[in-house]
Amino acid sequence: MSELMIEASNVSKTFGDVRALDGVSITVPKGSVLGLLGHNGAGKTTLVNLLTTMLPPTDGEAKVAGFDVVHQAHQVRSRIGLTGQFAAVDEALSGFDNLVLIARLLGASKRQAQARSDELMEMFDLTDAAKRKAKTYSGGMRRRLDLAASLVGRPEVLFLDEPTTGLDPSSRLGMWEIVEKLVSDGTTVLLTTQYLDEADRLADSITVLSQGKVVASGTSAELKAQVGQRTVTVTLESASEVHAACDALTKIGMHPVSEGLTITTPVAATRDLATIVRALDDNGLEVHDIALGEPTLDDVYLALAAA
Amino acid sequence: MATMTWQGTNYGTQLMVLTGRSLRKFFNTPALIFFSILQPLIMLTLFSQIFSSITSTANFAPGMTYVNYLLPAILVNTAMQSSLQSGVGLVTDMKDGVIARFRSLPIRLSTVLLARNLSDSVRTGGQLLLMIVFGVLVFGFAPAGGVLGTLAAMGLALAVGWALSWVFLAIGAWVRNAELMQSIGFLAMFPLMFASSAFVPTAALPSWLQAVANVNPLTYAVDASRSLALAQPVTGVVGALVTSLTIAVIGAAFAIRGFRRPL
Repeated sequence: MSELMIEASNVSKTFGDVRALDGVSITVPKGSVLGLLGHNGAGKTTLVNLLTTMLPPTDGEAKVAGFDVVHQAHQVRSRIGLTGQFAAVDEALSGFDNLVLIARLLGASKRQAQARSDELMEMFDLTDAAKRKAKTYSGGMRRRLDLAASLVGRPEVLFLDEPTTGLDPSSRLGMWEIVEKLVSDGTTVLLTTQYLDEADRLADSITVLSQGKVVASGTSAELKAQVGQRTVTVTLESASEVHAACDALTKIGMHPVSEGLTITTPVAATRDLATIVRALDDNGLEVHDIALGEPTLDDVYLALAAA
Repeated sequence: MATMTWQGTNYGTQLMVLTGRSLRKFFNTPALIFFSILQPLIMLTLFSQIFSSITSTANFAPGMTYVNYLLPAILVNTAMQSSLQSGVGLVTDMKDGVIARFRSLPIRLSTVLLARNLSDSVRTGGQLLLMIVFGVLVFGFAPAGGVLGTLAAMGLALAVGWALSWVFLAIGAWVRNAELMQSIGFLAMFPLMFASSAFVPTAALPSWLQAVANVNPLTYAVDASRSLALAQPVTGVVGALVTSLTIAVIGAAFAIRGFRRPL
């Protein structure tokens, strides 16, 4: 059992009458990525604020890197990095100076701070813009600078609150690659997102939040298995054979639906794929393509978060 | 992965780094420098010209030039107006997310406020010095108190600005809205400024305004500053300093409380 870097047990947070978080428990093992999925207002950011010591919980307790977020906030802050939904950079300072400032506040000497800032500007492909004021940066550059700022102290745990919201596709991809690199270096990441493909690609396990409660959690595959059925999609060579193929599948107990040259049918197990292939073959039907499809995270998300 | 981690630093370094940041930010913004220089100079120019004939009235000591009368008051006014910028600057930082970033770092939050206050005092000091030089070179400011008296008057103005800066930091930390801050600031400052001894002796004011001026703390600050610059019998300097200190302590307490509230 590997060490837990984030451990929240039964945390709640109320703002007046609003219960933003309602008994949420999560655990994130060292070196893994937890994807926190949910609509706007599901409580994702509140949970991040709580774990990063920005907000005290109304109830329950949480530990980050082994330290209590309320009573050992200083120790927690020395070990985490936070990238919020909006780039928290000082626009009047250069990108480089932004990083130096944070390094100095973390306790680096002037020389260490400059070396670390150079290193990060290089890593985030910002070296050419290092001396320019951050307000001249594009949206993507600003987000990269913001992420760089949260990495200055080489955090053990990184919190990314919707890190790619509002980014263009290539900047998103760049961001994903950076996160993957960090994780391969051993950083533990908690990522909130509204994008299913993002959670699917980056997260080792996913927790779905809805109205302040955990409505599902598990690996992407587990969630899909829990919700969606798998389907087999058959594409035939000739339109004249579609009817015969549907009949053949119905005979073996399937519920096929046809559209053009393709027939889709839900299946209970992987071995049904072989049964289908055999049934089609026995009837002398020419198959162009056959595929076993996983339910998408969209199916999971819609089924659970809407519940 | 490198294992070197930084675990935070002492308050002195935090204060120095954060103060340096605010100053650098100021010097990085030419427009801000330009207007913070221009505004007091315009005030000095306008008021010294508009009211210059006033000195011939009975309420003025014979031989007193208006610029000598006005400049010590304008020092206090400028310091007061600059103090509003402390609060506005704080609110702007909160809005930009810079404060959120600081909150996630292992630093003491109160140093963020101390640094703001300190850097704004340095900036105000520069503004005041510039005004004095401008007053001497352009308008013939030549107070009886000489260099020492003038510097003492400037020091007093700085103390007043420093104290008010805590008040505006407190308002900023609670209100968290730059536009509202500006409105509150101007609403508070204009009556304070004109219903005082800043531009004319209180004796020259209509009697109701005179009553207001006599309870206006700014009157006492201006009188104290003036007495230092003009080498008059020193009145109310200790009182002004003690009042400033009291206001600063109360303001700081509220500012820190307000600032600690979650964003």
